[in-house]
Amino acid sequence: MVEESQAAAADIAADAENIVTIRGLDYGVAQREIFRDLNIIIRRGRVTAIMGPSGTGKTTLLRLITGQIVPDRGSVIVDGKDLSQLSRTGLYALRQSMGMLFQNGALLTDLDVFENIAFPLREHTDLPEPLIRRLVLTKLHAVGLRGAAALVPAELSGGMGRRVALARAMVMDPKMLIYDEPFAGLDPISLGVVLRLIRQMNDALGITSIVVSHDVHEIAAVADDCYLLSGGQVVASGNPKQLQSSESEVVRQFMNGLADGPVPFHYPAPDYATQILAREAD
Amino acid sequence: MSLLRELWRSLRSGLETLGEMMLFLGRMLAYTPASLRRFGLIVHQVYNTGALSLVIIMLCGLFVGMVLGLQGFDVLQRFGSEESLGTMTALSLLKELGPVVTALLFSGRAGTALASEIGLMQATDQLAAMRMMAVDPIRRVCVPRFVGGIIAMPLLAAIFSGIGIYGAQLVGVQMMGVDSGQFWSQMRASVETRDVMEGVIKSCVFGVACSLIAVYEGYNAIPTAEGVGRATTRTVVISAVVTLVLDYMLTAALR
Repeated sequence: MVEESQAAAADIAADAENIVTIRGLDYGVAQREIFRDLNIIIRRGRVTAIMGPSGTGKTTLLRLITGQIVPDRGSVIVDGKDLSQLSRTGLYALRQSMGMLFQNGALLTDLDVFENIAFPLREHTDLPEPLIRRLVLTKLHAVGLRGAAALVPAELSGGMGRRVALARAMVMDPKMLIYDEPFAGLDPISLGVVLRLIRQMNDALGITSIVVSHDVHEIAAVADDCYLLSGGQVVASGNPKQLQSSESEVVRQFMNGLADGPVPFHYPAPDYATQILAREAD
Repeated sequence: MSLLRELWRSLRSGLETLGEMMLFLGRMLAYTPASLRRFGLIVHQVYNTGALSLVIIMLCGLFVGMVLGLQGFDVLQRFGSEESLGTMTALSLLKELGPVVTALLFSGRAGTALASEIGLMQATDQLAAMRMMAVDPIRRVCVPRFVGGIIAMPLLAAIFSGIGIYGAQLVGVQMMGVDSGQFWSQMRASVETRDVMEGVIKSCVFGVACSLIAVYEGYNAIPTAEGVGRATTRTVVISAVVTLVLDYMLTAALR
């Protein structure tokens, strides 16, 4: 325990370069272990990809980083603050410097596009209406949807919804933008738009981006650093090129999309022949 | 033996739910003063739960009043005291039927809408998104709906009773020929402020109970289509039972 807190203190000191440091993290839900001894470092100003097969807990990892859930063991340090030490108020204050894009956009369905983006401003600031208007329109312009300000979320296509959510995530000028599966279910054009926006926002605003995805090629085009998760641990990390040329079997299976390999095609099951014949005997 | 154990278990889970609901109420009350400052949000919810329930409340009020007029006339005529029809309908509407039937209709119309709306917001990550934007959904989503419901309920009950009395007058005076002067003057003479207040207190309490149940069920719905459906059903069932139980308790207490 003492060692752990000393390590956490050292991590906070190293914070100048790293915005997120995850060390020795264990997490499980109802006896099912999701992460064991997970170590991840996310550097400031870069686009970091978290990849892995479905069900490896990528979204869970994001929830850990944003403090929506608490690890069983280990530390998560975000922007120099140990999440386990933060009070609810402290956590909410920290979240104001994070923007998150949910898998389905998660726009508020009872508000129109303009009000959705103005939402964080209205909740956290007392800015005069003309200024709010200007801020919202600038963000909408940045994602190319200034003309859609009066639409309601139900009238938006999947890609447009994702872009509105991005504008909303940016409106408080966060230090860090988190994308949960930003490419899922997008057509090639929308996908290209989102991909370009991720890079553009990251570089133009000088923020840090974390992208969770399993779209290997898209990620390779945009990420500076990659982590590949499998079986609750990091199985490979480095830049996209290093991952592409990795010799590891798990990495090759994932990067090349092979159906069977270290990650088995079959969910654990009893012997096929035994099970089939047992059925017939009934 | 297993029956007893089963009974004990359901009793215990019922008590647990009640406790959780009270904690939830505590959290909402803690946010209420801050919420009152943004009154626009509450007004919007009074419109959502109140104004949009107006038609059904008025329609039901009219027919309940007309039935009261008919049945009341029938009974009173046997004692030769048809003129008391005004008093009878006014008292039963103001003290009993107004608050109770309004609460039942409210949970069916507005309560289900609240529960399914909040449940769907949960299922589509909208509440999680709010938490990520450092906005507590209890403060922003639950409290305005809760307070809005509390404001709307007595107003709806008053409208229900008013229309009901008109309906009774329509049947009793216009159709059955009760003397109009007798109808109104007897009502004025025998209905006291105390009677009106009993109805107001009841509908305020029902407003708290029904809004709390709807908001709680929606907020704690399992975020799937089935879970939201179940939360909606539970809202109506629990609200109806709680309303009737509370009604007896309040009637006994306010005698």
